[in-house]
Amino acid sequence: MGTTQPDFFAALLGNPAVLLTLAAGAAAFLGPGRESVRKAVMLAALAGSFLFTINLGLGTWGNLTVFGETITLLRIDPLARIFAIVFHIAAALNIIYAWHEKDRAQDFASLAYPAAALGGVTAGDLLTLFVWWEIAAITSVLLVWAPGTRATFLAGMRYLVIQVLSGTLLLAGVVLLYRETGSLAFNAIGLHHEDGSLHIAGLVMFLAFGIKSAFPLFHNWVQDAYPKSTLTGTIILAIFTTKLAVASLARAFPGEEALIYIGAVMTIFPIFFALIENDLRKVLCYSINNQVGFMVCAIGFGAINGAAGYAFGNIIFEGLLFMALGAAVYRTGTSLATELGGLYRTMPKTMILCIIGALSISAFPGTLGFVTKGIIIDAAGEAHMFWIWLTLLFASAGVLEHAGIKIPFFTFFAHDSGKRPDDAPVHMLIAMSIAASMCIGLGLFPGLLYGLMPDQEAISHYHPYTAYHIVEQLQLLVWATIAFGVLKVMKWYPAEVPSTNLDADWFYRVPGRGLLMWASAATAAIWGLLWKSFQARVMNVLARVYSVHGPEGNLARAWPIGFMALAVAAMLAFALVFALLA
Amino acid sequence: MSLIEQLPVLPIIIPLVAAPFCLIIPNGRIAYFYAIAISALTFLSCIGLLHGVAAGGTISYYLGDWAPPLGIEYRIDLANALVLTLISGVAALVIPASYPSIAAEANPKQIPLFYGAMLICMLGLLGVTITGDAFNVFVFLEISSLATYALVALGGRADRRALTASFNYLVMGTLGATFFVIGLGLLYQATGTLNMADIRVQLLENGTNRMVEAGYAFIIIGMGLKAAMFPMHLWLPNAYTYAPSAVSAFIAAASTKVAVYVLIRFTFSVVGADFDFVSAMLSYVLMPLALAGMFFASLVAVFQTDVKRMLAYSSVGQIGYMLLGISLGTEAGLQASIIHIFNHGLMKAALFLSVACVMLRLGVHTVDGFNGLAKRMPFTAAAFIFAGLSLVGVPLTVGFVSKWYLLQAAFEADRAWIAFLIVASSLIAVVYVGRIIELILLREPPEDGPLFRDVDGNPVREAPMVMLVPMWILVLANVYFGLRTDVTADLAGRAAASLIGGQ
Repeated sequence: MGTTQPDFFAALLGNPAVLLTLAAGAAAFLGPGRESVRKAVMLAALAGSFLFTINLGLGTWGNLTVFGETITLLRIDPLARIFAIVFHIAAALNIIYAWHEKDRAQDFASLAYPAAALGGVTAGDLLTLFVWWEIAAITSVLLVWAPGTRATFLAGMRYLVIQVLSGTLLLAGVVLLYRETGSLAFNAIGLHHEDGSLHIAGLVMFLAFGIKSAFPLFHNWVQDAYPKSTLTGTIILAIFTTKLAVASLARAFPGEEALIYIGAVMTIFPIFFALIENDLRKVLCYSINNQVGFMVCAIGFGAINGAAGYAFGNIIFEGLLFMALGAAVYRTGTSLATELGGLYRTMPKTMILCIIGALSISAFPGTLGFVTKGIIIDAAGEAHMFWIWLTLLFASAGVLEHAGIKIPFFTFFAHDSGKRPDDAPVHMLIAMSIAASMCIGLGLFPGLLYGLMPDQEAISHYHPYTAYHIVEQLQLLVWATIAFGVLKVMKWYPAEVPSTNLDADWFYRVPGRGLLMWASAATAAIWGLLWKSFQARVMNVLARVYSVHGPEGNLARAWPIGFMALAVAAMLAFALVFALLA
Repeated sequence: MSLIEQLPVLPIIIPLVAAPFCLIIPNGRIAYFYAIAISALTFLSCIGLLHGVAAGGTISYYLGDWAPPLGIEYRIDLANALVLTLISGVAALVIPASYPSIAAEANPKQIPLFYGAMLICMLGLLGVTITGDAFNVFVFLEISSLATYALVALGGRADRRALTASFNYLVMGTLGATFFVIGLGLLYQATGTLNMADIRVQLLENGTNRMVEAGYAFIIIGMGLKAAMFPMHLWLPNAYTYAPSAVSAFIAAASTKVAVYVLIRFTFSVVGADFDFVSAMLSYVLMPLALAGMFFASLVAVFQTDVKRMLAYSSVGQIGYMLLGISLGTEAGLQASIIHIFNHGLMKAALFLSVACVMLRLGVHTVDGFNGLAKRMPFTAAAFIFAGLSLVGVPLTVGFVSKWYLLQAAFEADRAWIAFLIVASSLIAVVYVGRIIELILLREPPEDGPLFRDVDGNPVREAPMVMLVPMWILVLANVYFGLRTDVTADLAGRAAASLIGGQ
């Protein structure tokens, strides 16, 4: 017997992601004038869902047989749990940070979108994953659209196209895999069969996850869409989509060698763009690529702890950097390096919190970044891949340059912009302080975080505060800082000039735009043609259907009684043939 | 002899004894209250039976203490207890709602006769369902059919076409009953018994032969005609359209369902689906006809300009779903079929009652009467919309439950293409229901012309309370059983298990 419908509803209501989505919908009914109530309801929902998730412990729930297939709506294993916990924390911090935001649609998205990401990481089967994957795409686009301008609308459409493409690929992969294995279970998939041949279903899914985690060449949507969102929207966007993809990669492709190289490239290339970028929000968006690169690399090494741990850490400290920059933007109205600067005088609290985030993302000993990134660098060293190890070290130095130094330096120091804004509002300071204290607290006492790691066996052999780790990291940081100083003094460091953002975008915008316009015109023309022929066909079919089924048609008209009797006799003959011949 | 021991016979005895008294009641209103009381009593005894069967298993009652196979046995298991509850429940709701409607549509002098016929019709349907004796099925079938012909003909005052509709129905119904009784005769010849359980025993002992096979084919066709199986449904649209509105509501909800029930009973527990010829009939006769009905009848419904006629064709399509469940031949399919029998009764009763409300106020049952109905008769309009969504199969309504189980059954039988067809045909229902909902919600009520005012020339008012309350009870039942699926699904599941397990 299949699943009964009450089972199905019960399973849905026992899923934290569904509950959060419902809460987001309910909170959206609290209209203008009741924003604080709405935020409080959203926070309460997150707290409830967090406790619920923790209380569930590890295991699977919502094992249903629907239409002959087994699906698992909720699976909390250590990998899902660490992501679920940090998603809850991040969503809550964002709600506090965005307390001043009055937009209902944004508030809905800032709970429904994390909920979808949560549903994705806790999905126990591929179909459930696919559903949440698409819901995440749809709810997040509300954030891109939030400013409500034409530019953001178009960016949102582009974003949606990419996300839906990823979803379509995922579905294709699911279908291919189902045909191959006959199961929808979501476990390790791999890019190759055991005999070494290419695993097509795996490859398709790999691409789907790759688009969402912004693999090189698939990364442009991040810089395109994210900075265009609102202040608070960007922060939320930066957290969930890529991390959901990382969690999916970690589950499906652990130890996949290709990921090492992809990850290494991801860590390197954004650094150059970030160094010359003038818009600091875009700098941070490049930094997302670079940071996800470390996680992808870790998955390639099979160091799932490194990927999950760094994702956890990154969500906190990168979020903190985004928030601090956001506070500056909130007060000054600009995020361009050329127009910021010297804000430390009047925004000291924000400055200190920003520096904590910067130290943490640079993996300074005693911070969350140090205790999580070390696992990845260690894994690279242990894999005896010298060049990769060197690349990651170089990329770490690059992180220090663009995120660790550039962001706080150009925002709060550098040349004096003459702006004297107030310090960040209280709710922003609260959110940032919580994130900052997590950066330092978990950095000094990593045991709590390590206890959540997926691979307890591996983590028990890892000790972050050994002399070797500390010396290695300090050397790196010192030399990189010196390099920044030298470059700055010698005026070799790319100065903050308003026009620098031409480089990456030029290819993208000028020839790319032409290509895009041509492609869209062509698509529209083809669509028009198709629709025309389709429409004609539909009309044709409808006319035929009407002639038979319409009120005067043969099937609908009233027939004389003799005909009815004849029909019955014919049916009897028909039935008798089968009864007697069978 | 306590009353409880006699409970199985009460649903038959109460209306059987009570109905003739309607003839001597001079006043329609008194007959109305009398019929309400009788139908309520009958409903209560059916609820009691359902309770008893759900808790204590199959009840067997020997009429006049004559033991079967010689005597007549009433045999109530979950499958027929559920159908009994549906029939008496719909009667207990339609009869209270019927007075304003029948008073407006029929000759006032005939109102006591109307209630007498309603009670007899209900009694016949209950009798078909309750009895464990094959010939007794035929007897009760004729009782209910004769009453139905009279009830349909009562619509002749409002529309003379009711008379031909009734006459056609009579001829076709008699044809169906004749086929059925021929089938019974053949089975009797082959097995020497008329007790259903005993026929089964004899067949298992002696095996099948040509006579049994032909008999079964006659029964399928005879009952298929009564159930309006496509393409033997031609009597149904006119009968439902021109009968008085209250009669349509009752027979649409109850009478074809009983025929489907008899099909289930004969297929699974009298003959048995384990015989090759039965499974061949299911796969090659029942299934194609069910699928054809789902599509062709639903498509016809799309183009109807008369709402009652549209609902009638929709019924033919919905019967297709029930037959489809049976034709899968699996326990899950049977469960889906029984669930849909029950659920479809709830939807169609509510829908036809809302049409009755429109008919009462505006005097028409064409689509024109539904223009802007939400503004003129909001409660009636809302009831139609909810029940219509249930007919489409929107989640949280019983229609969704039906489709859900039917889809599950199709997948379980490894026939995903059937699941696809179920969904595709549901989309047709979206069109024909959506069409009316569009009229109700988005069109403006007419500014002048014949439908500007009600039949008495007054501004159009909401339907009277006596009609609204029963209608809304049915609508709420649509939602309640859509949420509390454990009630119907569990009972239907057990009923299906016992029907299949009895083989």
